[in-house]
Amino acid sequence: MASDAPAPEYLLELKDVEAGYGRAALVLRGLTVQVPPSSIVCLVGPNGAGKSTVLKVASGMLTPRSGSIRVNGVDVTRNGPQDMIRSGLSHVLQGHSVFKEMTVAENVGLGAYTVRDKALIAERTDFVKTLFPVVADRWTALAGALSGGQQKQVEFARSLMVSPQVVLLDEPSMGLDPKTTSKVFEQVVRMRDAGIAVLLVEQNARRALETADIGCVLDLGKVHITGPASELLADPQLAELYLGGRPAAVPTT
Amino acid sequence: MSGSLLLQSVILGLLLGGLYALLAAGLTLYFGVMRVVMIAHSAFLILAAYLAWWFQRETGLDPLLSLVVTVPLFFVVGFVMQRLLLARLRPATLTMMSVLLTFAIALTIEGLLGYVFSGTQRRIQLDYSGSSLEVFGANIAVVKLIAFGLAAVALLGLWALMKLTRFGQALRATIQHPEAARLLGINTDRIAGFGFGLGLATAAIGGTALSLDSTIYPSLHWHWIGPLMAIIVIGGLGSIPGAAIAAMLLGVSQSLLQVPLGTTWAQTVFYIALFATLMVRPQGFFGGRLAQRF
Repeated sequence: MASDAPAPEYLLELKDVEAGYGRAALVLRGLTVQVPPSSIVCLVGPNGAGKSTVLKVASGMLTPRSGSIRVNGVDVTRNGPQDMIRSGLSHVLQGHSVFKEMTVAENVGLGAYTVRDKALIAERTDFVKTLFPVVADRWTALAGALSGGQQKQVEFARSLMVSPQVVLLDEPSMGLDPKTTSKVFEQVVRMRDAGIAVLLVEQNARRALETADIGCVLDLGKVHITGPASELLADPQLAELYLGGRPAAVPTT
Repeated sequence: MSGSLLLQSVILGLLLGGLYALLAAGLTLYFGVMRVVMIAHSAFLILAAYLAWWFQRETGLDPLLSLVVTVPLFFVVGFVMQRLLLARLRPATLTMMSVLLTFAIALTIEGLLGYVFSGTQRRIQLDYSGSSLEVFGANIAVVKLIAFGLAAVALLGLWALMKLTRFGQALRATIQHPEAARLLGINTDRIAGFGFGLGLATAAIGGTALSLDSTIYPSLHWHWIGPLMAIIVIGGLGSIPGAAIAAMLLGVSQSLLQVPLGTTWAQTVFYIALFATLMVRPQGFFGGRLAQRF
């Protein structure tokens, strides 16, 4: 992996970002988040902390008022959604966002809307079909006819069609039962193991930190604590404040 | 009612239903793409009919040839109208304000038609205007068949465009989940504009078809917009197949009722069906699974 130019330390870096909606007060107040390669970074925090706004800024849906966004070391602060895709970011919305009245095949195909290279599209299609077997199994079904967990996997598959370096996941467990949630988190780990970095926002903080490599605790538009997810989980004070009670069992590693 | 009269009514109803279906598909597109209630749709229909009539009067050529100009022209007008006017309405009150805005556009078109062509009733006279085919004792005017064929081809083309092309997929994605579509790199604003252009292109085709065998006058569009609105509500707002099915059924009903009730009363079938739909199934009869599907 040795190359002449030093690879940037972080695939995605949001630095001192301030952002808000319209003329309303700022939601993000000097936020800094860094996503290293091949890792799952998880943002946790109370409602209204600005978790989803972080992802909207990162994917170009909302332009920050100040601060910078870098993907692979390149400044992309002012880019809109289309350019963000080109620079290697892909965003999966919270809730269900499949195109319900279209087939799984059409959904996945639309993931490659910005890709012109037919061979590359075929290659990516094979890749996501292997990574998410349910996508291959239900290829010709209407996406709206799938279960919630299956729809999530279609959304994941769709987001990987552009060969992103970082995938932004907004509350992937929203509206899913615990068993399906575990399954979805398994898929998130598989995405990381396939070499894709993940920036994850979750309401279900404990479950998400168990999956993540790095955790960031967000409150009032700022990151208060960043550290290895396992350490955050083990911290009794954090558990009290953000994870809903004390840790059940502290892993002794 | 004799057998041949019944058959004739059913056939005429189906032929009329085809035209309704095409126009309702346009209305459904506007609503699906951006929740716009487009009152001016039928005014553009009449405008296209006038352009066909004028084209025939000035050049002596077949009015169908006017499509070569009116279809692209209406597409561009629709795109520009969406980008410059409708896209500027505040999203929170878009649907309601779109009624006012497009009502104003309808009045403007009607006024301009009256000013330029006067309020006189107009009708195209063609060599084949009077010819008809006899099918099992039923007399079917050739112009009605041509109008239906035009509508059917246009609907089929629209279907193919929506189903088989990259643009159609992007348009359907924009209708079904605009935010997700935007995140995939689809320029949803431009796609919505094109969707509007397509809707208006259906009015161009419909108007030409209408001009073949109808007497036209500037305020004729008011007779069309009510039934068309009823059709898309009954079919389930946003559902093109739903609109097409409702259009066919209501076209046939209207045609059958014309025999005992006369033309004016037969039109009430649309409103009765509308009331019934709103009471029994307000989401429309095909609004569930078929909605937004093509």
